[in-house]
Amino acid sequence: MRVRRIAVAPQVLEFASDDPIAARALAALYHAAPASAAEPTLRYALRRAPEGDGWIATSPSRPDFGPAALGDAWSFLEWRATEDLLNAPARDAVFLHAGGADIGGRLVLIVGESGAGKSTLVAHLLLRGHRMLGDDVVRFAPAGGAFSAVGRSLKLEANSLREMPLIATRCANGVVGTLLAAGCYYVSPAAIRRGWEAAGGRPRAVVLLDPADRAAAPGVVRTSEGEAAVYVTQKVLGEAAGGAPRQEDLTVRLLDVLADVTAYRALGGEPAAVAAALEREVAR
Amino acid sequence: MTEAGVLTRPVARPDLLLRRVGSEWVLYDAARAKAHVLNLTAAVIWTYCDGSFERSAIADAIVRDVPGLDITRIRDDIDDVLRRFADEGLLR
Repeated sequence: MRVRRIAVAPQVLEFASDDPIAARALAALYHAAPASAAEPTLRYALRRAPEGDGWIATSPSRPDFGPAALGDAWSFLEWRATEDLLNAPARDAVFLHAGGADIGGRLVLIVGESGAGKSTLVAHLLLRGHRMLGDDVVRFAPAGGAFSAVGRSLKLEANSLREMPLIATRCANGVVGTLLAAGCYYVSPAAIRRGWEAAGGRPRAVVLLDPADRAAAPGVVRTSEGEAAVYVTQKVLGEAAGGAPRQEDLTVRLLDVLADVTAYRALGGEPAAVAAALEREVAR
Repeated sequence: MTEAGVLTRPVARPDLLLRRVGSEWVLYDAARAKAHVLNLTAAVIWTYCDGSFERSAIADAIVRDVPGLDITRIRDDIDDVLRRFADEGLLR
């Protein structure tokens, strides 16, 4: 049995398989997260179906998935691992459904619905030399009021790689930490560049991504800080679930942490152009 | 206690939390898990909703605090804001 344990503090995730092909695929799951020797809090496994036809994926609190193609079984595990993190009981830290990057020493939180383009924007920022907090999951420690990075692999649509030849080349060469699964490339930030991880802290800006804005003129514009904070506390934190008391404490803490943010709305244009515009705005 | 649908001596629900975010304010209603964005005028009006100020007194106080404001305009704003507070269930 090949077992890989990683720390996504305070959680410890274990990925296990008795198959070398599956083990290589599992290496791309949260590839950039550090190894851990601690007892796992969340366990996942990928194994061949008994008849040898397809793969079975096992995760906590969900029925087994499969038999299915390896890419689909892997995608199930990736989905479950992220959902389990978002729903993990709060201890020292909780996980929020958002992306983020450090732009010129200022932490920028990137929020928007699934499919709004968080991962693509974060990938472009990473390629432009900025360190990242995450593309879809970031850690928030209420006590210190700090956000910090999660080593989840970026989920990128195949067509978005056309604008990112460096990442496309990494994927084409099968660099460890990259994987094509169910129509999407999963790319470890560590496979793109060393020193990918942004230092933790308080965000100085929040960027709202709304697919409805894609038809607008290219650019990044200032928007209501209050609306952005409400989005983060209602939508981003809401998706992280949790009981009412916890939700209330976290909401108040988040509002305090977001007191001095500047809020932006990313408009239309190519993601690379949006990344460049965001860079200019945040640097002002 | 009401005049034209607006509370004359409005009283804010004590369980709501007001927090500044950037140049705006967010009023968080934990019981309904809902947050409301307020501009500066609405946030100032909120701070006078303790049951001891009539609408006209709120207008006078704001005009005292912020010189140059038009009292008629402020009274209209107060009516609008208090109606919104009442509609959203933010007042007792």
